[in-house]
Amino acid sequence: METTSLAEPNREMSAKSAGRTLDYHALNAMLNLYGPSGELQLEKDREAARQYFLQHVNQNTVFFHSLEEKLDYLVEEDYYEAEVLAQYDAGFIKALFEQAYAHKFRFPSFLGAFKYYTSYTLKTFDGKRYLERYEDRVCMVALTLARGNEALARALVDEIVSGRFQPATPTFLNCGKRQRGELVSCFLLRIEDNMESIGRAINSALQLSKRGGGVALLLSNIREAGAPIKHIENQSSGIIPIMKLLEDAFSYANQLGARQGAGAVYLNAHHPDILRFLDTKRENADEKIRIKTLSLGVTIPDITFELAKRNEAMYLFSPYDVERVYGVPFGDISVTEKYHEMVADGRIRKSKIDARAFFQTLAEVQFESGYPYVMFEDNVNRANPIAGRINMSNLCSEILQVNTSSRYDDDLGYREIGEDISCNLGSMNIAKVMDSGDIGTSVDIAVRGLTAVAEMTEIRSVPSVANGNARSRAIGLGQMNLHGFLARERIHYGSEEGLDFTNFYFYCVAYHALRASNRLAMERGESFAGFADSDYANGAFFDKYTERAWQPRTEKVRALFERSGIAIPSQDDWRSLKASVMAHGLYNRNLQAVPPTGSISYINHSTSSIHPVAAKIEIRKEGKLGRVYYPAPFLDDDNLEYYRDAYEIGPEAIIDTYAEASQHVDQGLSLTLFFPDTATTRDINKAQIYAWRKGIKTLYYVRLRQSALEGTEVEGCVSCTL
Amino acid sequence: MITAPKRLSRVDAINWNRLQDDKDLEVWNRLTSNFWLPEKVPLSNDIQSWNTLTHQEQQLTIRVFTGLTLLDTIQSSVGAPALMPDARTPHEEAVYANIAFMEAVHARSYSSIFSTLCATRDVDDAFRWSEENPTLQAKSELILERYRADDPLMRKVASVFLESFLFYSGFYLPMYWSSHAKLTNTADLIRLIIRDEAVHGYYIGYKFQQALAEASAERQAAVKEYAFELLLELYDNEVKYTESLYDDVGLTEDVKKFLHYNANKALMNLGFESLFPASVTDVDPTIMAALSPSADENHDFFSGSGSSYVIGRAVATEDEDWAF
Repeated sequence: METTSLAEPNREMSAKSAGRTLDYHALNAMLNLYGPSGELQLEKDREAARQYFLQHVNQNTVFFHSLEEKLDYLVEEDYYEAEVLAQYDAGFIKALFEQAYAHKFRFPSFLGAFKYYTSYTLKTFDGKRYLERYEDRVCMVALTLARGNEALARALVDEIVSGRFQPATPTFLNCGKRQRGELVSCFLLRIEDNMESIGRAINSALQLSKRGGGVALLLSNIREAGAPIKHIENQSSGIIPIMKLLEDAFSYANQLGARQGAGAVYLNAHHPDILRFLDTKRENADEKIRIKTLSLGVTIPDITFELAKRNEAMYLFSPYDVERVYGVPFGDISVTEKYHEMVADGRIRKSKIDARAFFQTLAEVQFESGYPYVMFEDNVNRANPIAGRINMSNLCSEILQVNTSSRYDDDLGYREIGEDISCNLGSMNIAKVMDSGDIGTSVDIAVRGLTAVAEMTEIRSVPSVANGNARSRAIGLGQMNLHGFLARERIHYGSEEGLDFTNFYFYCVAYHALRASNRLAMERGESFAGFADSDYANGAFFDKYTERAWQPRTEKVRALFERSGIAIPSQDDWRSLKASVMAHGLYNRNLQAVPPTGSISYINHSTSSIHPVAAKIEIRKEGKLGRVYYPAPFLDDDNLEYYRDAYEIGPEAIIDTYAEASQHVDQGLSLTLFFPDTATTRDINKAQIYAWRKGIKTLYYVRLRQSALEGTEVEGCVSCTL
Repeated sequence: MITAPKRLSRVDAINWNRLQDDKDLEVWNRLTSNFWLPEKVPLSNDIQSWNTLTHQEQQLTIRVFTGLTLLDTIQSSVGAPALMPDARTPHEEAVYANIAFMEAVHARSYSSIFSTLCATRDVDDAFRWSEENPTLQAKSELILERYRADDPLMRKVASVFLESFLFYSGFYLPMYWSSHAKLTNTADLIRLIIRDEAVHGYYIGYKFQQALAEASAERQAAVKEYAFELLLELYDNEVKYTESLYDDVGLTEDVKKFLHYNANKALMNLGFESLFPASVTDVDPTIMAALSPSADENHDFFSGSGSSYVIGRAVATEDEDWAF
């Protein structure tokens, strides 16, 4: 991670009041205020972007006479990794930079430019001057990921500068820099029910945070409060103290770097500590148990819904006893499958709570804090083509992969290194991909770029992660700008046409992603570990595509694909892909995951992920940026009606859209639910039930919007009224 | 509907199912769902940012917050309780009790900021400064005088001026910092306070307008004159206070515009016309936009808690919800 965080070295407080021309912050803020005749002031934002360059960036960028001079300097001064450039000859590198600059890239929004220069670009070590422009960053990313393959480097430059593919923050930020963190974003670790594993987990949290990753940890296996230790009853203090330790570990690591250390913990709904777990996020929680910055997730099996439907109690099972009875950790069994067996088994200690009350408590806590995330455990495992069990997700609830436990010796070394999960991400801009017409190439290049990150990464400080990555080479190809694209094409988000498009776009991506991974398997002559036991190997995965024809339901969507020149793969295409996969395998165990895309969607000028916009003019707040305003891409005074925001659109249309996409995505999709503050816990519960029934795999945050009490609004404020 | 105005002389058990004024319940619901405590905001994430401020900027910030602490203390221990005897309905009294408590939370939260970010000695210095600063003391005296006096209408006027006008010379600074990417979590906390104060000023003003409407025409004119007199007196003092704080950093003129804007807002809450013309209320748009109390900003969850979460209404699910 970069450790410099001086946001704007050139702005002095005292210079402010004298200023006659508006500075770029003021211009940007005018986006949130109506113009004199009630119109949106979109041009003020473009002017803000321009002024940002004139007033700030250009004056603070180090000047070099030539590319050679620049690269020599950056390598010599330890800014760039010499090894990256050494893989290519100088002529090629020069041509590649020229190719990048020929795109004439400009940031369309102030936030995009501001975000890029404050958080991504290479700066002098004192943090005061910029050493890279956007095009330079793109070239360094391409040169790093292509590892000497000139054709791939050229393709990556075109895909990234054109905006079709945007690597996730850690990759885009770090590639090619000498002083850098890891290229991978995201880690998921199991914790087993012993002190060695708990200690390892805390150590891993520190190590991975130091390297800039987000870490999720599984708590379901940990024995509950009051469980025996060494057969002595009432000894264990349960999961809360572990959460406290983890929270402190993350905030400690956070102080070293510019980016926050961030962590999440997942717990099964049938763990005896579940209510205590949820109470840590209560507004009036005691300081001893309050969890402020750690994110929470709950995994809910089908049986919990069944019990709530019948308005029965739900039993919570002691993980300590379950592990002794079944010989595997609690997280590795299906509660749905074993529920009645465990209820009847006298050896397993249990307690019960009201199932509907559990759901209500869940919603109450979500109201107060936005947490927990929810993973519908059985939906996830039903859709999983890989042998093994998925028992947790990650910090953004889009990573869903199988894991296995590690075992430790007394000296804390590994007796057996299990497989933990890491995932590197990148997202495609749906509008740009549709405009280019060659989705096959775009997906192929993106998959190659992401696979390069997996191959180049070895997290030695956490051997179980290194092992998992080496065996799986999992990647997460995401998508963004769905709402922006739909609005530009005058399609309402969540409408029949919107759903139809989402279905077919993801259908195409799935086909091309599998094809790319299949091609990689042929080139490298190997498949991911465990391929032979997967539904890819036996062909069952392909049934849904080969047994029926997929055709758009609506004329509009058919026309959109025709206009783009994108062919929708036929049953025969799928049959031949199936044959090739069964014969040659797949290189990556996991291929797709749709992340929430915060920062990179601003740089890429997209709407986030496949969500509806949170607002037409979004107020964005982040530690490093303060408050900044972001106009929805393609928005103008004429197409406002297609930018109904997430709160107006409501949870059902969002869930419907995600359900269309989910059926083609092997991992998960971050799905946030949006409610007005007039909603009740019942509304949240209803949305959860609906999502579960539609086969949604995970739910991310619950967001609430409170409207200002009439009479207390800020005059002329766009975000109050739009 | 409102029945004849009477001061509540004896205490009856409060029945929220028999409302004389629906506004009481609406505001009560809003205030309770807005309940928060400073512990929810990860202020420690601002430590790095705090250290990038110059000593002068840090001192200014601490002073501004001690000034705000004083106002919140007045409002909590004197202001809101002083309004209670004039309450027209038992529910109004309950709302004031809530206001009094939340003002105490606000006063408490500045101390949370101090203990997280600042050195004890600097904070002690600032509190001493606040006790000795003549304009700050004059402002509190002007308000306290009205609270102690025997005019229920002027008590409300003073209270609205405090809630909707006097706070804002202080609120300016955290909004300014946040629009420059500094102390953004502190700004979140201040925005929670602003969210509350906006409702307080609005509600007290509403009750004032009801009472004023029942007064004679002469009395109405007199009250209005007193109100404007008080505002001008407060304004003159506030300008001096602002200059003493902000001159060194060159922000005084901008803060004054912000004062004008909020003075108009306070008058609006009382049902009076604006005093300052639009030409002197053109506040820096970054501050205006940062002020928005409808808390719908989209934040990065990993670095802040945001100001958009509220205590929800719990409603049990019914069988029909589980029909699958």
